Amino acid sequence: MKLLEKTSRIYLMVSLVIYLAVGIAFYWIIKYMIYDEVETRLKVEMQDFESFIRSHDTWNNNSYFVENKIEVMPVTGEYSHTVIFKDTLIQNRYDEGISPFRQLTFYTIIGGVPHRVAIRKSMIESYKLIEAISAAMVTFLGLLMISMFLFQRRLSGKLWKPFYDTLTRIKEFDLTKKEKLQLPQSEVTEFSELDDVLKKMADKMQHDYTSLKEFTENASHEIQTPLALINARVEQFIQSKDLSENHTYWIEEIYHASRRMSRLNQGLLLLAKIENQQFTDTEDLDLVDLLKSKLSDFEDILTHKQIEVKMDLRSRFDINMSPSLADILLNNILSNAIRHNYLNGQLFLESDENYLKISNTGSELSTDPERLFERFKKESSGAESVGLGLAIVKQICDNYWLEIEYTYHETIHSIIIRQEMKELAG
Amino acid sequence: MKILVVEDEKGLAESIVDYLTKEGFICEVANTFWQADEKVSLYQYDCTIVDLTLPDGEGFGIIQTLKKIAATTGIIIISARNTLEDKIKGLEIGSDDYMTKPFHLSELNARVKSLIRRRNFGGNNDMAWREIRVQLQARKVFVGEKETLLSRKEYDLLLYFLSNIDVALTKESIAEHLWGDHMDSADSLDMVYSHIKNLRRKILEKGGKDYIQSIYGIGYKFAAS
Repeated sequence: MKLLEKTSRIYLMVSLVIYLAVGIAFYWIIKYMIYDEVETRLKVEMQDFESFIRSHDTWNNNSYFVENKIEVMPVTGEYSHTVIFKDTLIQNRYDEGISPFRQLTFYTIIGGVPHRVAIRKSMIESYKLIEAISAAMVTFLGLLMISMFLFQRRLSGKLWKPFYDTLTRIKEFDLTKKEKLQLPQSEVTEFSELDDVLKKMADKMQHDYTSLKEFTENASHEIQTPLALINARVEQFIQSKDLSENHTYWIEEIYHASRRMSRLNQGLLLLAKIENQQFTDTEDLDLVDLLKSKLSDFEDILTHKQIEVKMDLRSRFDINMSPSLADILLNNILSNAIRHNYLNGQLFLESDENYLKISNTGSELSTDPERLFERFKKESSGAESVGLGLAIVKQICDNYWLEIEYTYHETIHSIIIRQEMKELAG
Repeated sequence: MKILVVEDEKGLAESIVDYLTKEGFICEVANTFWQADEKVSLYQYDCTIVDLTLPDGEGFGIIQTLKKIAATTGIIIISARNTLEDKIKGLEIGSDDYMTKPFHLSELNARVKSLIRRRNFGGNNDMAWREIRVQLQARKVFVGEKETLLSRKEYDLLLYFLSNIDVALTKESIAEHLWGDHMDSADSLDMVYSHIKNLRRKILEKGGKDYIQSIYGIGYKFAAS
């Protein structure tokens, strides 16, 4: 829910409750005042009646009041001295309609006989008044509420505009680009503070990103160059004619160690770059198609190890990712599946709309499948592997919201890649 | 054949120069950007080997200078940078090849030779050594007068050997030459062995001599004896 909608809703709810309460209170106050007025007048009439009785000690219906506004009835038996007000409906003498009346009932003694006297006053005018006042009030309150609501909406919209502007700019902001984050100036202190903080953060992030990127590039250069030198020197050394078997053994060791170190360095740098999201060139790719072409790169090695390839590629596997990372991803998975395979082994490739599965025959697994994706976790202690291949695979998958799973079932090792439901941001 | 090596790491430049000099090239070295820039403006080279990261500039600048003066030199970039963007940029602005450090000197040598061949003769000249003759355009190999049918990898392997006659080649460099540097597994070394075996057999079958010597622990050498 949007902020504006939310505030509007809250405003509407709260004002509805308040206006309703105010309306009801007003209604009761007016009603109370009118009743109070009517009752006071009834009491005055009661006093008039009583003073009339006191001086005449008799009552004649015709002598004083008109229309059934006073009713005097003799009573027998018990009677109380209480004075009671009540609402009553009485049929109108002329038009058969029923009209509301306020009635005051009291007991008095006329000519030695107790009588019940009821004095009434028509409430019809008062009710009309209440209705008119209520209607006017409801109309005015309603109008007030609607206009306040509209005003508040417009005001909030205006007030929050810099916020939405900032939000749009941040959404468009790309860390990997050189452009700095530009935010609109706002008169509101809080927003300008927010903008300042965001600008500072973005600058810091951009700076960190650049320096990390530079660091990886420099580190790569600084490490690879001496390694290149070692390799070159060893290769030159190899050319000397008078090498003993002992010498060649040592040279071989040095050479191997430097090659391994170079691979390790490249692997770690690659991981850092993927983590750092330095691969921004994305394209729409079909991983299945890529897998097929990648397989041809491994043709020699497959023939050499006499590995049988079984394909059940039913569907495309479309994804938007960096082509170089896609290449590394499939390369690592395939070379892994081939390296840990045995002579006359098998390789299974399977795909469906939402998964890609690469399985291979191989020797029994001794480590926990989950841990295979960790860095420097290697199944075989072979000196050739540096144990970064699957860690790189995992990192690539993480970057593109791909779920990856390693399963092992009766000498079949499988790696399954699934499309994870992309979390909808915002 | 004159080659300019632009590399700030003196030891590495020296190794490259030593190696290529033995192969019969005349080599010059530039350790800085400006030195290189001056040299390419003054002299003609058949091939320029350029490192991208130099203390006072980027190697790309030298390539641009070479292109500006329309030099006919072949250009090979050697760099520790292995990103696709750098490779694409390098090739786009006019270099002929891109090698990632650390590389094998034998591989560099093979690529320099192949580049010069392509530049000077349009790939038309044949390679011949003793009784072995390779028609590069047709990708045909003759031993004596008889044609030998080689697989693609065996052909590549033979060319690699012919570019590095009498030079000890490591198994790793052969594997990387044949399959690229991402096939660095134990399997590819076994495959090197089997390809060497096949190549040797095919040459012997056609009456050639066995020129492939194995060097214990290191690799192989293609030599007269």
